[in-house]
Amino acid sequence: MAQHGGTAAVLEAAELLKQGAEARLYRTRFLGRPAIVKQRFPKRYRHPLLDEKLSQRRTAQEVRSILRCRRAGISAPVVYFVDHTSHCIFLEELVGSSTVRDYIGSHRDLELDRLAERVGQILARMHDEDVIHGDLTTSNMLLRRGTEDGKVDLVLIDFGLSYISALPEDKGVDLYVLEKAFLSTHPNTEALFQKLLDSYARSSNKSAAVLKKLDEVRLRGRKRSMVG
Amino acid sequence: MHFTQELELFPGKKVTQLLFKEVKNAAVLRKSAVEGKINGALINPTMLVSPFQVLVAANKAVHLQTIEKMKTRSLYSEIIFNLSPTNNISEAFKRFGISDGDDSVMVVVVHDKDESQLLSDITSKVEGRQVPVEDVSSLSDAAKIKKLYKVTPAEETCGTLLDAVICRMAIKDVL
Repeated sequence: MAQHGGTAAVLEAAELLKQGAEARLYRTRFLGRPAIVKQRFPKRYRHPLLDEKLSQRRTAQEVRSILRCRRAGISAPVVYFVDHTSHCIFLEELVGSSTVRDYIGSHRDLELDRLAERVGQILARMHDEDVIHGDLTTSNMLLRRGTEDGKVDLVLIDFGLSYISALPEDKGVDLYVLEKAFLSTHPNTEALFQKLLDSYARSSNKSAAVLKKLDEVRLRGRKRSMVG
Repeated sequence: MHFTQELELFPGKKVTQLLFKEVKNAAVLRKSAVEGKINGALINPTMLVSPFQVLVAANKAVHLQTIEKMKTRSLYSEIIFNLSPTNNISEAFKRFGISDGDDSVMVVVVHDKDESQLLSDITSKVEGRQVPVEDVSSLSDAAKIKKLYKVTPAEETCGTLLDAVICRMAIKDVL
């Protein structure tokens, strides 16, 4: 693929950080700054035309959601450059950040209560903007120490499965996915997760409908019943 | 005084920026740029937050030139177009290009190896005082930039004005 020359050559020399089913993450430099590249590689198991279309759409949707969040004051990585031919997104690298997952594993109750409070607020704000993250886990939330004030900033990452929806159903499922991931990654944290939900409830005036849906989703699972 | 950065995605390609204040011949410069007699893009520095903003625009321009998907006729007009948050070409030139009465100008040159000849060409044409490129931040009109890029006060709580501007430039074609 000669026409992708630029990006492809850079990725060959870059450090591969992660490989998932959908994309690869590399660490590199962009215009002198540390950067992360998310590359949606071609999927051989899909028809080439469909593959191209899906990669195109998901790349576009991912950067749109990031901008929508940032506009609302929700921290997400800065987008430096999008290569729509090789389906690569160049993002700011959050140097020195750690995942909420690691934080939970290494901190005590009081600090964790504060964290749950923060996460609940941010997710409420995100849902108020009608952004559905689609893959909420404690690994997709980073904590970054502020440059000057030393305050810790919660940054949401990986909007690869995100979309825009105002439906309480979709927001409920978003929280359900987080609940499943949260409780399986961090055993015996039901009380902590409840604090997160309480904070979510207080932070959004649309939360009642969402939490009601969450209860329904818990009973039936993520997928809606198609019977009848 | 000038600032040169290599484009990592296009090995060998470099971008050099030169900033001039107290410019007396803006009208002449603009005319030569339109006629293609100046080998560079002339940008209105009051619309720039940082030299990084210019680099992002230049990198995208070289990328689009490589894949033959430029929206404008030349690499240098494409750099100016990429700075703009909208897809309106004449508006981009009006806001980000220089006007006849301007007294400061940022010149952007994309080149391969040695730039000394190109740079002396530029400095000989501009009647003004060359200053360090980082001084661009002291010329920027933050209020005008926020208005044009539609930066909300909320957005400034999660990042700098530069971050907000860069995101919009990078994403404008899929909005």
